[in-house]
Amino acid sequence: MNNSIEISVKNLNLWFGKFQALKNVSIDIPKNQVTSLIGPSGCGKSTFIKTLDRMNDLVDNVKITGEVRYQGTNILDSDTDVVELRKQIGMVFQKPNPFPKSIFDNVAYGPRVHGVRKKKNLNEVVERSLKAAALWEEVKDRLNESALRLSGGQQQRLCIARLLAVEPEVLLMDEPASALDPIATSKIEDLIYDLKKDYTIVIVTHNMQQAARVSSNTAFFYLGELIEYAPTIDLFERPRDKRTEDYVTGKFG
Amino acid sequence: MARNRYVRKLKELRQNVVDMGALTQQSVEGVLIAIETSDTALAKRVIANDDEVDKFDRKIESQCMTLLALEQPMARDLRMIATSLKMITDLERIGDFVVDIAEEVVAMGKPIHIPVSATKFNELVADVKSMVADSIETYAKGNVQKARSFEARDDRIDFLYKNIVENMVNALAQGKCSTETVSDVASLLYIIRYLERIGDHAVNIGNRVCYMEEGDRRYLK
Repeated sequence: MNNSIEISVKNLNLWFGKFQALKNVSIDIPKNQVTSLIGPSGCGKSTFIKTLDRMNDLVDNVKITGEVRYQGTNILDSDTDVVELRKQIGMVFQKPNPFPKSIFDNVAYGPRVHGVRKKKNLNEVVERSLKAAALWEEVKDRLNESALRLSGGQQQRLCIARLLAVEPEVLLMDEPASALDPIATSKIEDLIYDLKKDYTIVIVTHNMQQAARVSSNTAFFYLGELIEYAPTIDLFERPRDKRTEDYVTGKFG
Repeated sequence: MARNRYVRKLKELRQNVVDMGALTQQSVEGVLIAIETSDTALAKRVIANDDEVDKFDRKIESQCMTLLALEQPMARDLRMIATSLKMITDLERIGDFVVDIAEEVVAMGKPIHIPVSATKFNELVADVKSMVADSIETYAKGNVQKARSFEARDDRIDFLYKNIVENMVNALAQGKCSTETVSDVASLLYIIRYLERIGDHAVNIGNRVCYMEEGDRRYLK
């Protein structure tokens, strides 16, 4: 694995009330690589990814212990600036969720919130972000149309462009292609592959072939535990743990 | 246990490879008896048997491609399918060498005169026979320990092969062969070459079984 670590998680435990959703998870997420998280429903992978940008703070009765080190600090500390953190570590969700605004305003939304006002600067950032999200050619002549008129795959790429506009370091993707058809899915996968040059990407997926295709490293979660974390080719060709073997061969349960 | 249909298809695939192996092994043993007894009728039956080996090859390749295309096999399943797909080529090649040997037996049509000590030839025959049998058993049972012994056993086969060739060339050079036995020497040189190659394919199978069981790609080199 790459020596340069973007996020280092140590002994992470998370409870929703009395239910322990994450059990002593330790994992290093390498910089400028794609890391996939796989596992059956309820295994904790989505809970884990949400911890990386403090999205679980929004849940009642949540208790978290351990450490998530990013840029030298433990982001779980109470004095973390969560708004600034989420600018640097952005998330894309399963269902594309564009704002009911124009394509342009969706992408310009983040920069405006962060103080960019000049039209010229906004034009630049919107074009750059849409290009990086491989959407520019499809929408450049209709930037003022409602984002809701785009197809599902375009909406998802728009959401990625919206993230890129605030110049994050890390992209978290929670099943970003599960609501899309195969062609839109392959566009998202190509995009993920291209984006890793500039970003660290963590992706949760139920689609093991997708994990195999897009990621350098894959982590298998089960019942809140990180069971196995290895280069993707090793995890799918010769997993060490029987539970991983049973899961990737589809013989679970 | 989920994916019952898939698991059944994997078992069928493995059983077919074992059956193809048993058929190939039967051919190897048959042709070795044919050499020993100069039984041209048996040699011809062995030649005919190769069609069955070839049918298995095509059937198993098709099964593998269907599993790969439709089931997205992973981990141990993927390694088993990949190993099977490659191993049937080794078995098919062993079958072809058996045919080549059988054709020599048919062409000679009489007991072979071995112009050098028969001991080493008999040892070579016994070693190749047991290697083929063991290679198929290692696949069927996933016996890595036995598969690992194949390289050393193949070294022994190579040694015997070279030794017999050297002795026969010397016998020829020293004029120890009559006009009649010279053609036997030529046939025998072919036969031992084919046997040595059969040993190489058995080694390939052993290495593939090690990969199938342990997932270490170094075995594929």
